[in-house]
Amino acid sequence: MRARALVRLWSIFGEPMWIIVSMGFPVLSSLALSLLYYSIGATNYVGFAVLGGVMVAFWGNVLWSMASQFNWDKQEGLFEIYLTSPASITAILIGMSVGGIVGTVPTAVIVSIIGWVLFHPVVAASWGAVALTFALTLASLYALGMALSSLYLVYGREAESMNEVLQEPVSMLSGIYFPSIGSFSPFPFAVQIAASLIPLTLGMDALRKSLFYGEGFGAVSFDLFALAILAVVFLAGSAYSLKALERKGRRDGTISVRIR
Amino acid sequence: MISADHVSVEVEGLRRQFKTKSAPVVALDGVSLKVGEGEIFGVLGPNGAGKTTMIRILSTLLMPSGGSAKVMGFDVEHEAEKVRRVINMASGAEKAGYDFISAKRNLWFFSQLYGIPGEVAEKRIGDLSERLGLTKYLDRKFYALSTGYRQRATIARAFVNDPRVVFLDEPTIGLDVMTARSIREFLQTEAKTHGRTIMLATHNMAEVEAICDRVAIIDKGKIIAEGTPEDLKRSLGAPALVMEVSPPPKDLEMLRQVAGVKGFTSSADEERGLSTVQVVVENDSAANGASAAMATAGYRVVASWRKEATLEEVFVALVGSGFKEREEEGGP
Amino acid sequence: MISFRSLFASTWMGIQHDLAWTTPSLAIALRTVAPFASAMTVSIIYWFGVTQSGMALDPTRLAYILVGSTLYAHVASYAWVPTIAIAEGKNLSVFPHIYLTARSTALYVAGRALSAFAISTTTSLAALAAAYFALGSFLHTSIVLIVTPASLFMLAVALLVNIPAALGLGYFLGAYSLYASKFEWSLPGYIAGLLMVFSGALFPTSILPWPVSVGASYLPFTQFIAASRDALIYGRVGDYLWSIGLSALGGVVLLSVSVWVYFAAEKARKDGVIDRRLA
Repeated sequence: MRARALVRLWSIFGEPMWIIVSMGFPVLSSLALSLLYYSIGATNYVGFAVLGGVMVAFWGNVLWSMASQFNWDKQEGLFEIYLTSPASITAILIGMSVGGIVGTVPTAVIVSIIGWVLFHPVVAASWGAVALTFALTLASLYALGMALSSLYLVYGREAESMNEVLQEPVSMLSGIYFPSIGSFSPFPFAVQIAASLIPLTLGMDALRKSLFYGEGFGAVSFDLFALAILAVVFLAGSAYSLKALERKGRRDGTISVRIR
Repeated sequence: MISADHVSVEVEGLRRQFKTKSAPVVALDGVSLKVGEGEIFGVLGPNGAGKTTMIRILSTLLMPSGGSAKVMGFDVEHEAEKVRRVINMASGAEKAGYDFISAKRNLWFFSQLYGIPGEVAEKRIGDLSERLGLTKYLDRKFYALSTGYRQRATIARAFVNDPRVVFLDEPTIGLDVMTARSIREFLQTEAKTHGRTIMLATHNMAEVEAICDRVAIIDKGKIIAEGTPEDLKRSLGAPALVMEVSPPPKDLEMLRQVAGVKGFTSSADEERGLSTVQVVVENDSAANGASAAMATAGYRVVASWRKEATLEEVFVALVGSGFKEREEEGGP
Repeated sequence: MISFRSLFASTWMGIQHDLAWTTPSLAIALRTVAPFASAMTVSIIYWFGVTQSGMALDPTRLAYILVGSTLYAHVASYAWVPTIAIAEGKNLSVFPHIYLTARSTALYVAGRALSAFAISTTTSLAALAAAYFALGSFLHTSIVLIVTPASLFMLAVALLVNIPAALGLGYFLGAYSLYASKFEWSLPGYIAGLLMVFSGALFPTSILPWPVSVGASYLPFTQFIAASRDALIYGRVGDYLWSIGLSALGGVVLLSVSVWVYFAAEKARKDGVIDRRLA
């Protein structure tokens, strides 16, 4: 686990330009949506766009560096090596998650600083609740990434297209830039329930409450509990499906087939 | 000697240097050669010797740092577009094609980039596929082809524009014997029947012996030997000496001291408790010296005989010492 | 003839490559999802912002954001295709073989951009229609859009006039891909972000600080989106023609410069990066 995390960190921080390059979309989209709030006179909500930019960096990392990672590893012949090593695949995935989180922190910090300097969003934080919510959101989000990585192994070559299909709708449904659940949501109740299965939805809801409205553990306890449950479910689901997939692959002889 | 009218590839003092963080690396250091029309010309050399660099320059993918190179009379540096009309290339290590598109449509696509009319392209793809045994698999998506058929499709692509010169880099690497053989037969027909020049960079000595008219051995960016495979084998003088030695020697350094020994290889047979040592020698007295050196070192020569040197032995004799130096330096 | 065949084959290959991973209709449907979702997101941000700030929802402003966001997605999705086509071509080892065919990489890039234009036009307009109905249903409001043969014709002209500008941007990015062997895959994200901020897709460029606001207002993409809004929202023919003219002029200038830059990427051959796979 430690080794995989280090490999990810070496590849990110070993090429400093990579940090600058990878922060392009989160920084600029956050800036654009902050300007949208600003342009319509809703300056009180600019902070939502800044926070959204921070979290979209992690969501992008989950999709492109977690969910589809094993497919790229498979193309390069690395996946076979993982399987034939004594290390657990789940440990390798957790290592990738830790490396991914630490590697995305610079982008998140830059988005926050730019948002803060340009728009001075009003923050009334309950920092303890913010920290715990943030940690649990990332845990459940990266657990979702692990589950997707096993699913994508079945999809195989279509993983990249599936990422493209998922990125924007999940951003919309999970309310990265506006509340998508609760009384301010534009969506029907059934859609809100479905959206709540995405860890980002509950995480963003709780983060907004604790960061911008000063609500403490009591107010976000349901979100925290649900996030913890989602993290465990996704983690267990990914471990189970990876095992099942490995068995199926060994039986059908498909594991060692490189894509190209 | 190739007459000036029939030269396809002409390289004179070709040099290529790459910048690296530590120091510049000279990949080609004044290479000169000529290849004639309809010739299959092999380029042999250890990894990092400069083979691929030369092919990349000749195929207009890389500019030379010095010297000149012409393909069908066109300068690769200043007349790249004219060169591109008459060449094509393929590499065994890269199965180049769009994954989700059928082999046939991939071939059609590349034919169109050369402006080949649809009907002509269709006929040529059909003809090439038939000769390469690809016809049944033409409608399969590229990623769904087996390694062998993907490579057949890659070879077909390299001939789809009716090129005069084709550059091939390890075209049969990783292929089974029958597929490799059918590709070699195809290449021979293309050269001999259609007069195409084929430059073949490879590590496969058997392939070079089987199909190449001439060979250049390149090492550290320089051509160290050039001629027909037979010429090169003859250049070593007397045939090789083969000895079965017991017990298996730990090292064979004593052979280096024998005058006239040009190189050696050994393989151990643990079951029989002996090693087979092959020594490339200049003459009979070197062969006798090698046997004596083994005996002096305390090894018993159980049996010995002489045989014709193979191209591999020539290669080892010419490149072997350099190879050892490179390994000691930490590789090329 | 060789140019026409190259362009045609490259356009065909682009369509095949983008759609052949599943059935074409499903691929088109799935490609509609992203612009639909992003149009929904920004429209809902507007709705949420104004209603929570105690202001009245302006259906014209909602239409402004809806049209701007779908056309922004359209431009972004085909302007970056040359970069991806070259980067992915290098990765698949296909690009060197395209490079060494006679006169083909610029045409190949143009063909791939044209195929992306065709696909993106279809998906963006489908996303616009879908978001129009979905927003009407979720937000219980009617969005002001002029949908007549004349307005649709004006939109079609605007889309076509914008091709040189998008292709120009594509050649700029493609020149980088031609030369570079890393970071190409990240360029589209940057370009999408920059277009979102500077093309007037979501808000008037006038809110940007001077002189950025002036520069942004004359971008051919800003003028293309403005012309499309004149056609679909405001019905202002005079303003439409002015914007179309500026968009065309900007496009020609951008394309000329970028083609020159692209051909200058001959340096890539000198440094041997044409056939280097990604780092």
